Amino acid sequence: MSSQLIKFANEDFFAYPSKILFWKRLNTIIVADLHLGKSVSFARHKQFLPPYDTKETLNRLFDCINEFKPTKLIIVGDLIHDLLSIKSLEKKDHLDFIEYAKKIDFIWIKGNHDSQIEISGLQKVLDYTIDEIIFNHIPINTSKYQICGHFHPKVKITHRGKSIYKSTFVHNNKIFILPSFGVLTGGLNIDQDPIKDLLGKKINIFPVGKDKVYKL
Amino acid sequence: MNINKSNPLLLHPLNKWMKKKKWSWFPHQIETFQHVRSGSDVVVFAPTGAGKTLTGFINPIDDLIKLKKFKGLHTIYISPLKSLANDIVRNLEKPIKELNLNISFQVRTGDTTPYKKQRQKQKPPNILITTPESLALLNSYENAKEFFQNLKYIIIDEIHTFLDNKRADLLSLNIERLQTFSPNLQRIGLSATLKNQQDAKKWLCRKKSKIVSYENSVLPKIKILESKERIPWSGHMATYAIKEIYKEILKSKLTIIFVNTRAQAEYMFKNLWLINNKKLKIAVHHGSLEQNLRLKVEKNLSSGLVDCVVATSSLELGLDYGDVEKIIQVGAPKGINRLLQRVGRSNHNLATPSKAILIPTNRFEFIESQAAIEEINKGNLDKIELKEGSLDVVAQHIFATACSSNFNINELYKEIKNAYPYHNLLKKDFIQLVELIQDGGYVLKNYDQFKRIQQERNNKNIYRLVNKRETRKYRMNVGTIIENPMLKIKLGTKTLGNIEENFIQNLSQGDSFIFAGQVLEFQSMKNNLVQVKKSKSQISKIPSYSGGRMPLSTNLAKSVRKLISSKHNWKKYPNQIREWLYRQESFSLLPKKDEFLIEQFPRKKNYYSVIYTFAGWHSNQTLGFLLLRGMKELNYKPLGFVANDYAIVLWSLNEAKEINKLLNIKLINNHLDNYLEETSIVKRLFRDNAIISCLIERRLPGMIKTGKQVLFSSDLIYTVLKKNEPDHILLKSSYDDAKKNMIDYDRLCKILMIDNNKIILKKLKTISPLAVPIILEINRENLSKKDTDEYILEDLEKEILEEANVKSIN
Repeated sequence: MSSQLIKFANEDFFAYPSKILFWKRLNTIIVADLHLGKSVSFARHKQFLPPYDTKETLNRLFDCINEFKPTKLIIVGDLIHDLLSIKSLEKKDHLDFIEYAKKIDFIWIKGNHDSQIEISGLQKVLDYTIDEIIFNHIPINTSKYQICGHFHPKVKITHRGKSIYKSTFVHNNKIFILPSFGVLTGGLNIDQDPIKDLLGKKINIFPVGKDKVYKL
Repeated sequence: MNINKSNPLLLHPLNKWMKKKKWSWFPHQIETFQHVRSGSDVVVFAPTGAGKTLTGFINPIDDLIKLKKFKGLHTIYISPLKSLANDIVRNLEKPIKELNLNISFQVRTGDTTPYKKQRQKQKPPNILITTPESLALLNSYENAKEFFQNLKYIIIDEIHTFLDNKRADLLSLNIERLQTFSPNLQRIGLSATLKNQQDAKKWLCRKKSKIVSYENSVLPKIKILESKERIPWSGHMATYAIKEIYKEILKSKLTIIFVNTRAQAEYMFKNLWLINNKKLKIAVHHGSLEQNLRLKVEKNLSSGLVDCVVATSSLELGLDYGDVEKIIQVGAPKGINRLLQRVGRSNHNLATPSKAILIPTNRFEFIESQAAIEEINKGNLDKIELKEGSLDVVAQHIFATACSSNFNINELYKEIKNAYPYHNLLKKDFIQLVELIQDGGYVLKNYDQFKRIQQERNNKNIYRLVNKRETRKYRMNVGTIIENPMLKIKLGTKTLGNIEENFIQNLSQGDSFIFAGQVLEFQSMKNNLVQVKKSKSQISKIPSYSGGRMPLSTNLAKSVRKLISSKHNWKKYPNQIREWLYRQESFSLLPKKDEFLIEQFPRKKNYYSVIYTFAGWHSNQTLGFLLLRGMKELNYKPLGFVANDYAIVLWSLNEAKEINKLLNIKLINNHLDNYLEETSIVKRLFRDNAIISCLIERRLPGMIKTGKQVLFSSDLIYTVLKKNEPDHILLKSSYDDAKKNMIDYDRLCKILMIDNNKIILKKLKTISPLAVPIILEINRENLSKKDTDEYILEDLEKEILEEANVKSIN
């Protein structure tokens, strides 16, 4: 998998098509919005999506951990979709997850979906700071740099009379937003509010393709 | 007409009215009456103007009068269109009111007010005129059994439109449901003339089934426009003929111009206005226009307030517009039945011929138009192929049944199998569809705690709805027609109609386009509303509407081949067409009707192969892809292909010397699955299947999901499902649909089973006259068939890099 260099906060980050952000200097992986157990939550409303999303999302995460062997993993919110979802996690998935989480420095930042959820053996924090960068679920009003999730940004690309939508990494000079990592999660257009409002006009867009992250 | 004294209809309650009108009964009306009276299910074939509607109502009215003050629902009348249903009511009203008969009748469609619907449920009329979707809804109500238990007749109008699609599947299932509620129910089908009348009978009839057929001996007068202009090699807009078309409109009192697509309709309309120096009243009518605008045009049409209407198939069916004098068909007829249906819109007097003029938009279409005329004159019609019913429709029906009452799984299976499209339905598939409705039907994992329907504890064969609230969700999802995501267009506060979301997304603020015959400027899009203002711009885009591309019918294709191969026909053609064919003959050759011509020639460093299949667009499209794959394996280094109704052209870096050897059934086995995957045909059909089977909702109560959102989630579902449960019933259902509809599987097989001796491989120095039209289409078609998304991204990035003068980015 080829990576895309993104310079943010005077640091070099690498975006991957698997929708993770790799901070090489600190050997740290950052991901956002896994929404584990989303399909179960939908099933409660009798929308029967294939119940394999949690396993797939987790496996993708484990693959990344195995590949990069990071010392630190930062999840910028919405690890779990909702209370019902966590109950639905299969025991094996649950244990695997704890196992992986224990091996590394695991930072779980609270999101709007999982703020009420506890997983025994795992710490949840409101935010997390390294040097000049705050890791958040939803950006706050600050002069510091922030890396966040929450919005599931996607970009509309119109070219030669065709339009497509792609998940995307996007940032301005202060705020960086990751695409959602979960397999069944939808998206929000970056040229619409609230993302437009938040980031303003000067933004860098990195759409996620099949085998590479592009730069527009 | 001389009707002898034994005519039983002379005693019919309507006879007095007929006499007053100085009308006499048609023989097919008498015959139908007698068959139905003796307990038969009947299909009646008769042309427009032969009292078809009345034929359906003869027995119900007779019966209702004899029964005296019958309470409750007695007859259901199914119409394919809402507008047609209203028209039927108006026609029925006349005799019943004039004779003061004690019979109540009402219409019930999606447009009926909730209050009226409620009243109809409490106090049903004797005769209910409705659509398949509204019938399905009625069947899902809790008291459906009581509501329908005394039903005696169901009349299906325009049954030929109900034989080969999902809507037909839905209707057939609901007819069986009614038969269960009321075992004595009799079925009456009304149809335009059909080639395979037996198939229509099989589809509808169960009891002592009978066919009644009435043929019109007066043939329509159809001719091709004798244009002084040059008929173009390719293209679909008939720009060359606009002035001549205008002259034709001037000659007749009232003209309908039929075109094949909505884009053509807007284009034709606009261009006629530009030359409208006689200030004719010209209107446009197509399915995307706001209902009120459409109704207004229809009203003006029937009262003769317009001179000409440009229309798509939206005006094709049923409605009687009295004074239409002439039909102009712009573009290829595509099918014989279709042309006949359109031509029949003019002049409803059986004794005089309908008049029509055909305007071919290119040279192949000229031959096609000629072929269609000859087939019509010979009385040769297209066959409508019955097909196996789609599985997603069964799932929806199971849900509907559960909403209405508890059901026994074995009894329901038996009932569904009685419906002709499902007579081969496997029990195993049916069970999986029940499970799909229950909780998604996933094998490896399930949603035990969230079931929609569940088995009774003491009888595992009985299923019941878990929560009554679910009925509401079913009702939001009923039906089999999935439109492309559409957005409403607003001019000020006035709604003009619906436009495809994809089209709007490609517009920027200030861009102008034509809609409803006006040039409009795109202003903004908010909350799914497209705000526009009037524009004076001359440059405008025309909305494209995807889908609806009809392939050339098998019968017509055969006739086209015959015309091309038999030289003595050519002298009838205008010079330019004749020249074209003669030149082709001397330069290359014209295939005989059982021969298969392949031309090969070099052009601009590439090698071209043109294969004349005459197999229709769908199969040619598929064949093109399969050949591309096959050529890759033989190291011909193929670069691309384009297909139309008549031919496929492929181009490659190396000469495809033995391309004829690829035309073999093995091609399907080796590459078809790949084709379905790469072109995401199945993925798109999966979305429809997921919605129709109620796995995902098209609308949630209280919120409207935009098309994009639906597409988005169904794409992800498809990917996840295919990876984890490739045998899931909805994937099977989507594959079946693909084979049936998108690729014309049977026709494709037929081409590939051709005897190798009949393939003529002609090596040429350069492009042949016959090949010019399809070569011209190359530039218009889009890009590669590979993953277009990735292509767009790559391309865009490359452009930006070039602009920035940077070679690469890591």
